[in-house]
Amino acid sequence: MSLLKIKNVSKIYGPLKALDGVNLTVENGEWLAIMGPSGSGKSTMMNIIGCMDKPSLGEVILDGVDIAKESDKKLTEIRRDKIGLIFQQFHLINYLTAVENVMVSQYYHSMPDEKEAMEALERVGLADRAKHLPSQLSGGEQQRVCIARALINHPEIVLADEPTGNLDEANENIVIDIFKQLHRQGTTLIVVTHDPEVAEVAQRTVVLEHGRLVKEIINENFEE
Amino acid sequence: MFFRMIKGALFRQKSKMIMIAVTIALGASLATAMLNIMLDVGDKVNQELKAYGANITVVPKENSVLNELYSLDEKEETAAAHLKEDDLGKIKTIFWGFNILDFTPFVNTYVQLQSGESVKLTGTWFNHHLALNTGEELDAGIHSLRSWWDVKNGQWIDEQSDSANENSAMIGVALAEKLGVTTGDKLEVKTSKGSKTLNIAGVYDAGGDEDEQIFTTLKTAQELSGTKGLIDSIEVSALTTPDNELARKAATKGPASLSPADYETWYCTAYVSSICYQIQEAIPDSVASPVRQVAESEGTILDKTQLLMILITILSLFGSALGISNLVTASVMERSNEIGLLKAIGARDYRISGIVLTEIIITAVVGGVAGYFMGYGFAQIIGHTVFNSAIEMKPMVIPVVAVLIIIVTLLGSIPAIRMLLRLRPAEVLHGR
Amino acid sequence: MKRQTMFLKMITASLLRRRSRMLVALLAIAVGATILSGLVTIYYDVPRQMGEQFRNYGANMIFTPSGSDKLSTDAINKAKGLIDSNELVGTAPYRYENITVYERPLMAAATDFEGAEKTCPYWRIDGEWPSKNGEALVGKETAETLDLRAGDTVTLVYDLEGQTTAAKPSEKAERNQNSLEFKVTGILDTGGNEEKYIFVSIADMESLTGKSDIFDMTELSVSASQERLSDYAEKISSEVDGLSARLVKRVTQSENTVLSKLQALVLLVTIIVLLLTMICVATTMMAVVTERRKEVGLRKALGASNRSIIFEFMGEGLLLGAIGGLLGSIFGFIFAQAVSINVFNSSIQFHWILIPITILVSVLVTGISCVLPVRSATDVDPALVLKGE
Repeated sequence: MSLLKIKNVSKIYGPLKALDGVNLTVENGEWLAIMGPSGSGKSTMMNIIGCMDKPSLGEVILDGVDIAKESDKKLTEIRRDKIGLIFQQFHLINYLTAVENVMVSQYYHSMPDEKEAMEALERVGLADRAKHLPSQLSGGEQQRVCIARALINHPEIVLADEPTGNLDEANENIVIDIFKQLHRQGTTLIVVTHDPEVAEVAQRTVVLEHGRLVKEIINENFEE
Repeated sequence: MFFRMIKGALFRQKSKMIMIAVTIALGASLATAMLNIMLDVGDKVNQELKAYGANITVVPKENSVLNELYSLDEKEETAAAHLKEDDLGKIKTIFWGFNILDFTPFVNTYVQLQSGESVKLTGTWFNHHLALNTGEELDAGIHSLRSWWDVKNGQWIDEQSDSANENSAMIGVALAEKLGVTTGDKLEVKTSKGSKTLNIAGVYDAGGDEDEQIFTTLKTAQELSGTKGLIDSIEVSALTTPDNELARKAATKGPASLSPADYETWYCTAYVSSICYQIQEAIPDSVASPVRQVAESEGTILDKTQLLMILITILSLFGSALGISNLVTASVMERSNEIGLLKAIGARDYRISGIVLTEIIITAVVGGVAGYFMGYGFAQIIGHTVFNSAIEMKPMVIPVVAVLIIIVTLLGSIPAIRMLLRLRPAEVLHGR
Repeated sequence: MKRQTMFLKMITASLLRRRSRMLVALLAIAVGATILSGLVTIYYDVPRQMGEQFRNYGANMIFTPSGSDKLSTDAINKAKGLIDSNELVGTAPYRYENITVYERPLMAAATDFEGAEKTCPYWRIDGEWPSKNGEALVGKETAETLDLRAGDTVTLVYDLEGQTTAAKPSEKAERNQNSLEFKVTGILDTGGNEEKYIFVSIADMESLTGKSDIFDMTELSVSASQERLSDYAEKISSEVDGLSARLVKRVTQSENTVLSKLQALVLLVTIIVLLLTMICVATTMMAVVTERRKEVGLRKALGASNRSIIFEFMGEGLLLGAIGGLLGSIFGFIFAQAVSINVFNSSIQFHWILIPITILVSVLVTGISCVLPVRSATDVDPALVLKGE
């Protein structure tokens, strides 16, 4: 069974159709990139997959549950247990240190565990910056904290929204390397981006335009 | 464009601006209410202190010297000097006439009862209605000047309703017990000048010497003592300003010792000594002197109450100032995104400050005006619940509150604006 | 690590690391709490402090003989002993005798000047209070009649046979009289009957008359409510033989009236100031919480339930309220103390109970004022917030 199945999903804001009959299936362990220009419906897609929004029409089946039919409260639980979010603007809590930011995610999920949180930071190469506040970290470092936070609860899907949008090239490469590592470990990755370089490294890329899926590219050269 | 931005901020961020305006209104209302109460509390408490009775007594000039020689044996009739009943109205015509709240004349005489006993009988006003030339109307008499009297049975003599019955009298509780009389009984009294049958309208407990006396109408007492149109003394209750150095100097060394400028100040201030002086001017051959027990204590209590209210007012002004500036700071800081954007598109610092300040000040004016009227309401609530009378709204409170609000909002904006100006647009817009 | 530890860690981090914002909120709460504890302290202390001021009106209780005998020192002391010594401001026994000066009949009063100074604070003396035997205070009217000034001497003559009327000069020698010379230290101005008397010390009066330990009445100034005073009066009258205690109605009744108005005034002012301060605290807290909508959105995106978000913000608010309340109760006491010293020249009693009450109230107010904005913040759509709106 597929991990995520999007069937005929539309999202309508007043006269605007942000998504218009989208069908998409994501398999367990897959690395998918969603591309498209501004206003193509990428963000809406990301919100729906991330359980932060519900479709107006259609079904979104995540791990066998149709999230379109669940209550907000239930959605919060699903998001907490199954989704790891990575943001373009990092969204770290500015008064908590790096390791504390990671622990916040643990806290909402189950039990905060400083050791585990430190290990997560180690994996993204930030063990030595763990006690720093976000304002003392560079953009790349902040993004790595954000990734560590997304991974800490072992989510079914890691959902990244323009993860490299605010980063320079060096940091972009670090982030892509981390993604590759995640993929090797079997994490399902969905990356929303308009950066072809980021999309290129994914297993498969779908392109959205005006709320419709217009193209699907399988990366032939994908290195496992 | 400046105004369009301000308009946008004011109307589109309605809820935030309303919150600031509400806080400012609350602060302003607090300031208004407290300032008005503070300024009026002196008068109000002064009115309450009238419960202690008269603070000035007026006696005939010669009497004040002669009286004590004879008063040792008070049962002898005094043939001493008198004041004229016709002069009574003049008390309200003095410079501080408006501050004369109440006054009542007394005629004292000793009457023989049937049992042969001699008791003191005093003729006075109970609630005498006065219509003055100035158009002012006043109910004067001991009903209010002896507020501590506890009428045991019967009731206060009401001069206005049964003026026909001049021979009504009130009798002290001690005397009533001794004579075994009570309300409704009749009492024969006689003097060398005539005799009367008094109807006892009430028995009072004064908790003092007056418990052994009889009080009756002025006319009855005058007839009994044979002093028609004459009175022995007057008790006056006046609103006074607590004494200061000047008043003390005038009181001890006499007004003549003052320099012309000081004299003017003294005369035109409602000190108890200047009011006494003015009464002496108005009533021929009279000596008006302050009843120290009442006049002095009033001053102390008034001073203390006013000082207390001033300090409470300062505390609440301080509190509302901090409340307002706090909120202004918090709400300006909240807008760092917007300001960052304005900076990013090239707005100069002074323009940004100008926009923020103008918005805040417009909000402050709206809040301040609303607050003034709320404060008016609060002041009146307090006035009516505590003193049963309206608090006078002093116009000077308006500019004080206005200046206060503007200073406070500006001060509240300063830290926020400084912080905003330090913002680097890139950081704000990239959400760091 | 336990969940609770993380919870506390998040809250304290929020308070400590967002220093400037939190100071703003803390300041608001502390000011509110200061006003609360300060005004409540003043409210409780006003009757006591003002009551003392009202003692300026002089004696509010008098002892008089209940039978035909005069008062004795023993009876007066026994009666005084029934009154709580903390409440007793002053007592002055009085003894009146008819005397003559230059053949004029006058009234001399003997009293304890130290006590009289306390029971009659309104007496105005031109000169000095007598400090030793042989000195006298002369009432203003009498002084004018006799043309006496401070520093003059006056001879009081007492007729040992009790004759009070003026005697003809020719008969003087035949009469059994006793006389004493006094130095006038001051002229007494009261505006009342006292202006007619000559005041001397009790010892002088005893040597002048040859009779001791008899008093006509005693004036007392007691700092207590009218009810308490009547209780005292009743108790004294029933327990002490030959002495009856009465209230000076004019003073007690009026004090009751004025004092209750004053207290009502302070109460109402306190209530209104408190209400407004609470609203100010509430709006500030709202602003502080509203500012953090974005953070709420993030926490929701990370999987926080509404419940836990409310818990965290409330935890923060409550902690802030507790700290502010503690600070406020301290500053409030300092304020009340300053007021008391400035206005009444006396220090205030510290009410320990006010500390927990102030903290509780400020915690409640901050809590309540956080509930609304936090609730509305939990309605935030995480997607919108995170998109940078």
